[in-house]
Amino acid sequence: MSHKSGASGSYTLSRKAKWFSSWNSYLFVLPALVFMVIFIGFPLIYNLIMSFQNVNVYNLSGKHDFIGFANYMKSLKDPVFYTALQNSVVFTVLSLFFQFTIGFALALFFNLKFPGRNLFRSLMLLAWMLPVVISGTVFQWMMSGDFGVINYFLQTLGIIDHPINWLSEGSTALLGTVVANIWIGIPFNMIILLSGLQGLPDHLYEAAKLDGANRLVQFRHITLPLMRPTILVLLILGIINTFKVFDLIFIMTSGGPVTSSTVLPIYAYQMSFTTLEFSQGASVSMIMFLILIVISIVYLRMSSKEEVH
Amino acid sequence: MFKNVRALMVAMVALVVLLSACAPKTESGSGNSGSSGKDGDKVVIQWWDSMTSEATQGALKEIIADYEAANPNVKIERTYISFADIKNKLLLGSVGNQMPDIVWLDNPDHQAFAAAGILADLTEPIKEWGQADKYYEGPWSSTVYDGKNYGVPIGSNNLALYYNKDMFEAKGLTPPTNWEELKEAAKQLTTKDVYGFAMTAVKTEEGTFQFLPLMYQSGSDITNFNSEGTIEAATLLQDMVKNGYMSKEVINQKQSDTVVQFSTGKVAMMINGTWQIPLLKKEGKVNWGVVQLPENKQGGTILGGENWAITNASKNKDIAFDIIKFANEPERLKAFDQAAGRLPSRSDLLQDPFWQDDKDLKVFADAMEVAKARAYGPEYPKMSEAIQIMIQEVISGSKTPEQAVKEAGDKIEPLLKK
Repeated sequence: MSHKSGASGSYTLSRKAKWFSSWNSYLFVLPALVFMVIFIGFPLIYNLIMSFQNVNVYNLSGKHDFIGFANYMKSLKDPVFYTALQNSVVFTVLSLFFQFTIGFALALFFNLKFPGRNLFRSLMLLAWMLPVVISGTVFQWMMSGDFGVINYFLQTLGIIDHPINWLSEGSTALLGTVVANIWIGIPFNMIILLSGLQGLPDHLYEAAKLDGANRLVQFRHITLPLMRPTILVLLILGIINTFKVFDLIFIMTSGGPVTSSTVLPIYAYQMSFTTLEFSQGASVSMIMFLILIVISIVYLRMSSKEEVH
Repeated sequence: MFKNVRALMVAMVALVVLLSACAPKTESGSGNSGSSGKDGDKVVIQWWDSMTSEATQGALKEIIADYEAANPNVKIERTYISFADIKNKLLLGSVGNQMPDIVWLDNPDHQAFAAAGILADLTEPIKEWGQADKYYEGPWSSTVYDGKNYGVPIGSNNLALYYNKDMFEAKGLTPPTNWEELKEAAKQLTTKDVYGFAMTAVKTEEGTFQFLPLMYQSGSDITNFNSEGTIEAATLLQDMVKNGYMSKEVINQKQSDTVVQFSTGKVAMMINGTWQIPLLKKEGKVNWGVVQLPENKQGGTILGGENWAITNASKNKDIAFDIIKFANEPERLKAFDQAAGRLPSRSDLLQDPFWQDDKDLKVFADAMEVAKARAYGPEYPKMSEAIQIMIQEVISGSKTPEQAVKEAGDKIEPLLKK
């Protein structure tokens, strides 16, 4: 599409050729498009349709009736839905905040030149490459109240005087999963920010140094503004990814105790596969989808403004 | 720019419409691929189970090989599906038409699947077979829905109380036979490093499975949930945790985690199932014994186990049932249940010395007479979820037993009427 935006002065192509070249470029997108339609579009629409029907265990393989917004109303009337929504927001905000700040700090650190930098940078990525099943289980062990290593350390250091059941206490279960998720997410944040940092032009910093700007001023007035697009992309990806987290929480607490760590994906899963109310589960996932769409639109608006600047 | 985006959108929508219009057709066209079909001139029977242990798989493969040898025109394709997945796979498979012919089901799910129309009605062939009366009432009832028969029990298990003999001896205690003794023993056996008592309270069917026997012992049941007995059972759990006799962590420990705690001497007594015996014999580091669950107002335990079923989508139901009959011939079933660490669901087999002469297995075998099946109709998964939440509420102390039981009862009551 870029060939058009810069071509305002040179309309030498005939209309037909133009039509062809623009459709030609769509042809290149076609394989990806077909893939997306089959593996993303189709399930999405299937889910949308199901959320307006009454699919449950009795009629799963039979006929389904359209029942309008009844599933949505039922979900919105369920107090557990709001607990899950609140938990999702807390989980996402806390995870992102710490993933991002720690990731940024590490990115700035690894942007310095020092021996062994590449080795440590690759080692950092390990956390991200580990399957979630493994990191989730390890965190579950570490946070265990009876034999967990975290309690052991805190007790040895005298910070707490009796063991805390991190994952089986309503007040700490969600925080426990947040901590694990932060650990998993830091490397991703770091790598994206680091690649952004390495693309920044050196001459700006040299000029600033000549003008007597210290590190902090450089960071505030050069690094941050130039990194804005990268940060935006990272945060929006982060919101979407974190909002969808299911496996980690499912492994660590399965949403419990009671509902204290139930986030929306867990709630939707339980609707569909524990209580076998498929269409109500579908309605919850559609609500999640809507929330993420709104966030994405805000992002697209912001980034298109960015381009204009 | 805007125009291009619109063109793209139009193309996308067109493709979506095109694909969704095709979808039902392609599904019905390729429906046979997952289900039974012909392999040359052989009939292929798809078989799903979730058995993991080597011994069980070996016993299974033997049955399959024997059947194939006796019936050269049949080929059985066995697929392993993990226990956690098999329910979802079946439900999704029924929509996508990817169904096996023969499937193993956890018995509390059986009625829900029958109600979903996934399973074939086997009432007639079972009547012809004429062996229904050989099976225990409990396991058999789990295969019946709406007066029709949808399966045959494979093997059973139930819950009993495992205890650490050395710890009991050190305190001069005998295994508890009633709740008072249970509480007293838990109190005395709890030390700085050892919890007196453990049972799982995870938020899955396992949690409900372990809680229901306490209700039965207190004279209540799901059918009269909001009652004194249920409150008593919930109070027992809350007190165990409040007094520190049971770890709060039980809400994250599955039955397989509890047995590890027990076999390493971190727990003095645990409620657990028949299937833990082979593991404890092989890897247990403690001197253990097993007794019937203690009584409150009465004795009682719960029945677990798997059933055979044939799916409605199967094109060779007669052959599939023939395989089930073959596998249920007493000698073959006996060998299988022995290898798999299960109790036979047939009363004639359970009299075999293998189960009667082993003092540990005998405890479970005797309990078969009273073990109650979870046959509460197709809405049971929802009732179970309400109970799981209730258990976690009382253990975490966020609600009083009275309050938690009442709230769970309010959720369960309308489900019973369906």
